[in-house]
Amino acid sequence: MSRTVIVTGGSRGLGLAITRALLEAGYAVATCSRHPGDDLPPLLAAYPDRLFWQQADIGVAASSQAFIDGAVQRFGAPWALINNAGIAREGILATLPLVEVDDLIQTNLTGAIQVARAALRHMLSRPGGGRIINISSIIGQRGYTGLAAYAATKAGLDGLTRALAREVGRRRITVNSVAPGYLDTEMSGTLSGGQREQIVRRTPLGRLGTADDVVPAILFLLGDGAHFITGQTLTIDGGITC
Amino acid sequence: MTDTNTMLDLITQETARILAEKGEAALPVTADTAFLDGPLPFDSLDLATLIVALEGITGKDPFRAGFRQFNTAGELAALYAAA
Repeated sequence: MSRTVIVTGGSRGLGLAITRALLEAGYAVATCSRHPGDDLPPLLAAYPDRLFWQQADIGVAASSQAFIDGAVQRFGAPWALINNAGIAREGILATLPLVEVDDLIQTNLTGAIQVARAALRHMLSRPGGGRIINISSIIGQRGYTGLAAYAATKAGLDGLTRALAREVGRRRITVNSVAPGYLDTEMSGTLSGGQREQIVRRTPLGRLGTADDVVPAILFLLGDGAHFITGQTLTIDGGITC
Repeated sequence: MTDTNTMLDLITQETARILAEKGEAALPVTADTAFLDGPLPFDSLDLATLIVALEGITGKDPFRAGFRQFNTAGELAALYAAA
């Protein structure tokens, strides 16, 4: 029987790439998003036995709980959770509307904690260990003008990673963060041409990243070879933070 | 309505299951048995696992509104019986 991985926000961008790669690697995947988008339905048709999708807003506790319940009902207790769902809101903090700040924290941080809590309640009952991977960001490590609140949520995820790794390690559940750099996805669409050029210039490997640059790290951390790695943040940014 | 004795039986059963999954020998659990700092080879994560299991079986969550102090199996059984 396939190991089950829960992936939040699997309908587009990095989450979609992770979902696709996990299916190709033989995992069963339970994912959620606010909308199925255009790319998930073909995957649902291609993998009807190993892919489950449910509409959910991770920023709403009842919604994320219903998703975890649905995933467990379909596949049983999960082997792993990938906390990927997130939103980006850009703006100078002094003028960023508080409702935007609340949305960021509720989805990127509180939502991730709630999903981890809900998933862990099932993972603890499943012998054999497990994996939790939080998708954070180099923005949480280094900051970026206009992304103060976003950076706070991503730094918070790295804190969650370190504390939870200590808490559940004795059950052989590892908890790690993967921190992508600037990815060429929809979430980076708000970068101006000048900002993109500056990022590329400062990146030793000379380009923005792609989802495909990050996915192999996820597969590695899920694999048996990573069973002694926990509480770490793996940065994948073409070297911009080195 | 679940009475305290029924809950104590359930707690005893689930505690034995958790200990078995850890590879530990089953120990007798009575109403006076403390979960932590007592004879049971139980840690805080085992206790959390027990609480989650009890909630799954009974559908009750006596901690929904916040943590309530308990130390022994009997005290935990009473919390579920009253929930």
